[in-house]
Amino acid sequence: MPTYELALMLRTMPKPELKTTLTRISHAIFNSGGIIRNIENLGFRAMPYKTSSHSVVHREANYFVFKIDTATQAVADLKEEYSRDVDIIRQRVYKVQEKADHKCTLEEELLPAAYREDVQKMIELGKTQVNRFTYKFKYNSGLDYYPFQK
Amino acid sequence: MALLKSLSIRNIFSITHRAAVSSLRNYTTPAVAEDDDSPVDIVNPYKKERRQCILCKLNITPDYKNYRLLSQFQSPYTGRIYGRHITGLCKAKQALVESEISKAQNCAYLPYYYKDKAFLKDPKLFDPENPIRSHRF
Ligand SMILES: [Zn+2]
Repeated sequence: MPTYELALMLRTMPKPELKTTLTRISHAIFNSGGIIRNIENLGFRAMPYKTSSHSVVHREANYFVFKIDTATQAVADLKEEYSRDVDIIRQRVYKVQEKADHKCTLEEELLPAAYREDVQKMIELGKTQVNRFTYKFKYNSGLDYYPFQK
Repeated sequence: MALLKSLSIRNIFSITHRAAVSSLRNYTTPAVAEDDDSPVDIVNPYKKERRQCILCKLNITPDYKNYRLLSQFQSPYTGRIYGRHITGLCKAKQALVESEISKAQNCAYLPYYYKDKAFLKDPKLFDPENPIRSHRF
């Protein structure tokens, strides 16, 4: 089961209602055979742009991030279910990125162009292709002149 | 008179110096002297430290939830993501920053066309006026 992050924006509502909405959301995850690793509350704040959902315009939202483990097949069903929920303004599901062991390549990128690997590759590629500045068409007629009117 | 005197003194000095050198040369064998003076294999003490981008140096992985950090890579006027020649990030981190910014904008954490006015006074990580390579335009 891959790990997903479910970013939810919930509409403005009093706390007890928010609680029932959150339990409803989590029950949907449990019913689809998923587990919740963590719920983050990013707070209630003004959205950077107004969003209309279920024919209501929202300018503020409660931001929540659910970290869930669920089957890939179940994600589409969850999204469909949440899209019908009037309390959810917006929802996004992202796969959690794995920690990549990556070394900084800035030093190689700051080298002069001729020393950079990608530039060297381009030069090599250019050598295998026809040089359009020096290319001259050959008629292959066996004659040293052009027999037709130009 | 003074000039002559100084000249003669210098001459004497040079002569005695030459004599001393020649006498030294007779005593020491040239092979040994060369061996001592030969270059020694050491690591270059003047080699510059490997440059790293700011995110790699501080070991930060950009995340769409950390939108305050991401907003520092955006123009305060247009919300445009600054290019690699301005931010000074390595290719991988720049690609990650760009994808995370678009994620954050999609999640309504970040605006598309401006910068949140609460973040306008955040410290500058780079100077857009002095790019590493010149602007395209
Ligand atoms: Zn880097």
